[in-house]
Amino acid sequence: MSPSHLASLILFAALVSLVFAMLMREDSRTRLRFGLTSFAAFLASAIVVGWLMSPFPS
Amino acid sequence: MADTSTAAVVAARPAAAVPACLLAWLLPGAGHLYLRRTGKGLIFLGAIGALFVLGLAMDSRLQMTVGLDDILASLFSLAQMAIGIPYLAARMLGYEAGQVTSVTFEYGNTFTAVAGLLNILVVLDAYDVAVGRKA
Repeated sequence: MSPSHLASLILFAALVSLVFAMLMREDSRTRLRFGLTSFAAFLASAIVVGWLMSPFPS
Repeated sequence: MADTSTAAVVAARPAAAVPACLLAWLLPGAGHLYLRRTGKGLIFLGAIGALFVLGLAMDSRLQMTVGLDDILASLFSLAQMAIGIPYLAARMLGYEAGQVTSVTFEYGNTFTAVAGLLNILVVLDAYDVAVGRKA
């Protein structure tokens, strides 16, 4: 199985955010909000860090 | 009259703390299922189980390094082992070697180690539920 970098990132962020939301919030509404925020933060931070690293040679 | 208040629903079961934590370590979500938090238990089983299985599918290595010679490798092994029975089952099924040449090898390692680390948080959550600190 060889998913793309982005697909791996999305899978990882979704599953970890789901577990975090279930662990750290108690009711459905705040869980949904926390989970979506966490998911967005994972994606945004990875894209920003990737963009910052792009000028540097591999 | 049946008591359906929140206090009754989240009643503490301190005697169940040890078996709940043990079950939670052996299989993600099993501790919560034992404590009758079915929804939470199934979500943990599905999400952490999926992380681990995806990690294996991405050619993760399930190394078993114990000792102080290579501290980081030992900590990494402990993280992977924290998922319990799935780790042992995968090793017995021949997934321990991984494939270091695979393009997803490092991703797979990350997925399996994070699955184990999340399971440690789930064990602690099961303890909190058993002693009545959380619903």
